[in-house]
Amino acid sequence: MSIEVPASALPSRKLRLTIFYILAIVTALYLLFWFLDLSPSSVFVDFRFVNDLAHQLFPPNLALFLKSALFVSVIETLSMAFLGTVGGGGIALIFAFFAATNTTPHPLVRLAVRTMLAMQRSIPQLIVILVLLIAVGIGPFAGVLALAIGSMGMYGKFFADTIEQADKAMLESVQSVGGTRMQTIRYAVLPQVMPSFVANLFYAFDHNLRAAIPLGIFGGGGIGFELEFARGLLHYKDVMAYTSLIVVMITVMERISDWARRSIITQPQLIAK
Amino acid sequence: MLNVSKIVVRLPNGKRLVNDVSFTVGRGEFVSILGSSGAGKSLTLRCIIGLTKPNEGEITLTGPSGQSYRTANVSAAELRRARRHIGLIFQGSNLVKRLTVLENVMLGRLGHINPVRSWLVGFKDSEAREAMVALDQVNMAACAGRLTGSLSGGEMQRVSIARAIHQRPLIYLADEPISSLDPRNADAIMSILQPLSRDTPVIGAFHQPAVVARYCTRAIGIRMGTVVYDGPAQISARQLEHIYGESSGESFLPHRDLDPQLPFFGPDMQPSLREGVTI
Amino acid sequence: MVSPSVMLFRQELPFLEWRKGIACQRWKQAAIAAVLLSLTALTSWRCNVDVQSFISGVDKGIPLLGLFFPPEWSRLVGMLQPLAVTVVLAMAATILGMCLSLPCALAASSNLAPPPLRLAMRSFIALERGLPEIVQLLLLIAIFGLGVVPGLIALSIGSIGMLAKLLADGIEEIEPSMLESVAGTGATRSQVIRYAVIPQILPALFANGLFQFEFNVRTSIILGAIGAGGIGYVMRTSMLSMDYSTACMATLLTLALVFFTERVSDFLRARILSGGLLR
Repeated sequence: MSIEVPASALPSRKLRLTIFYILAIVTALYLLFWFLDLSPSSVFVDFRFVNDLAHQLFPPNLALFLKSALFVSVIETLSMAFLGTVGGGGIALIFAFFAATNTTPHPLVRLAVRTMLAMQRSIPQLIVILVLLIAVGIGPFAGVLALAIGSMGMYGKFFADTIEQADKAMLESVQSVGGTRMQTIRYAVLPQVMPSFVANLFYAFDHNLRAAIPLGIFGGGGIGFELEFARGLLHYKDVMAYTSLIVVMITVMERISDWARRSIITQPQLIAK
Repeated sequence: MLNVSKIVVRLPNGKRLVNDVSFTVGRGEFVSILGSSGAGKSLTLRCIIGLTKPNEGEITLTGPSGQSYRTANVSAAELRRARRHIGLIFQGSNLVKRLTVLENVMLGRLGHINPVRSWLVGFKDSEAREAMVALDQVNMAACAGRLTGSLSGGEMQRVSIARAIHQRPLIYLADEPISSLDPRNADAIMSILQPLSRDTPVIGAFHQPAVVARYCTRAIGIRMGTVVYDGPAQISARQLEHIYGESSGESFLPHRDLDPQLPFFGPDMQPSLREGVTI
Repeated sequence: MVSPSVMLFRQELPFLEWRKGIACQRWKQAAIAAVLLSLTALTSWRCNVDVQSFISGVDKGIPLLGLFFPPEWSRLVGMLQPLAVTVVLAMAATILGMCLSLPCALAASSNLAPPPLRLAMRSFIALERGLPEIVQLLLLIAIFGLGVVPGLIALSIGSIGMLAKLLADGIEEIEPSMLESVAGTGATRSQVIRYAVIPQILPALFANGLFQFEFNVRTSIILGAIGAGGIGYVMRTSMLSMDYSTACMATLLTLALVFFTERVSDFLRARILSGGLLR
């Protein structure tokens, strides 16, 4: 007595499907490479060339670490990230109240603010920084503004969504005892939203720290700027020094911000009141 | 035939979780291990299958043609060889939820399949047909193509049994197979395991003395890591108290005026369940 | 007999405690606010933030933005090829990243890989993620020169790093009982990976891959500006040559691309999560 295996569950059929998918992926990759005019050989360079370059890159110019200019640029990058996060995030929170259905004064206002936030999110950072460089000149100020605009767009939407999900019952209870809109926000919405707001500020800081580097390369100041400057002069040992410093900076700051976020989150009374 | 000999599992501070447990399981037996939580039932079973390494002791599985396998403190390759012949039916989510039911059953014979073949070709259609026979034995043939994650607890447990059947092991090992099931499903599972046990021994850890008395041939009571009872599955109330400890005896003995010498849980309870149960 | 004033005082004690608690909290909040404010002041000084340059920036910026419009529609067709290069670069890097991150993730999971391998792999991934793609690109340009090759390599390596971390975290979250039960049939470690791990994380792989694609499109634009080609390069050159209407056209195209990418990605992710894309 044998039971029929349902046709869709036959192993041979599954095998055929799997082979088909794998072939499809390989073909897709091949087509993409063909479009880009690439062949696998272009990836495998003349290793002698790489050897020369390796000598140029290593050992990194660690003497630079003794000069204060290096650390100043790190502080500058950190400051850019901090300001961009605090400024952008703070303004994002204010805009978020206008962009949320339960706290906005008028639906049209909500629409306008939402559109503005969407635009801030979508416009490539590249254009933003290039325009800002012309407007306020080269230097960290342009970088700060670029980061702030980016953070505003990203987190404004997120905060608005969080506010919209706030518990209606709390809002109504404040309103039922005669609270104004501002009081409702202060006592019903803010305590619910603050923990998520603070946590996201830390994530935004991590993100902005990484984003500050390409902005610096384009002219926005900080360690990215120094890196590009050294590269332009073909001082590759300096470039390697900056590179290793960037890795250390990002890794260390990630730990610190993780620790800081955790220690604040575990004390909700500090931020919820 | 399974021979468990003087298994000891110790905590780093010296306390013994399993203390010189020994027993032998032969053909035709449906053995149940009883005991309160933390008494060492699951640990003993995990030692048999090799998921926990006992500090002392020997576990040997012998086949009809004389081949023997050991599972206590052996090399990984030897353990794999032994595991091929042990059918696992564990509690809870032990099926791969994102595979289909049929694929989960076919996993049973992985021990006999070359890993290279697994990666390159997968399973064969002939294996699928054998798996369907196993599924039919547990009345789950209709669900062969369904995603395992969409099944209910009772259905998943039956698929586990089908996987073990497909494995054609020398012994079935069940760790609380019916603990998370409602009484109807539990009875259905036990009525599948019981006929299985006539050809291949089944050893399982159970929490329910009533069910054990109905279906099993033998019971081993473990209390605080030591075997305190090894005999017929129809256990008297006083012996149950001894296995489970004084305080938990209360929950099994709602009427303390009954004669404690009589078997409290006997085959004559709940006659309505004796007629076949369909899920 | 206790005097009335003492009784009143005892009743008030909890209230006083609470008031003291609030005061303590207020001090802490004030301290945090003070720290934040001083940090803001310091960093503003460091970054040359001042209202004067902001106002003059706005004064310069508004007419500048006016120069952007109307966008140069005639250049639209000519920009489609660089746009395609940007997308194709992102696509190829995402596919390569997805394929190559899987073995890395397997080697970086605590439940699959031996501790030394896991540590090495995790350090590698952390190191890779600590280096922004842009810096990787600059180093690669020094080796390969300008063009799509360094861009593709930088983007792929970045994708491998990000995806491998997410996947490894996902693998570590697989219920151990699932892996144990497959191993219990006598399967080798590679068979456990093939039949338990991979089916469970495949949806996560695709969902994260889609996120990665969105990220790669954005990054590909920036990388293009530094020399990897594509629409980013067009944007930068047009800005540098003060051809603002062309830059505007390129920006609009990019907006459309990002918008379209997000819609497609959301749609596909919803299909995956509902279990639609079964193998």
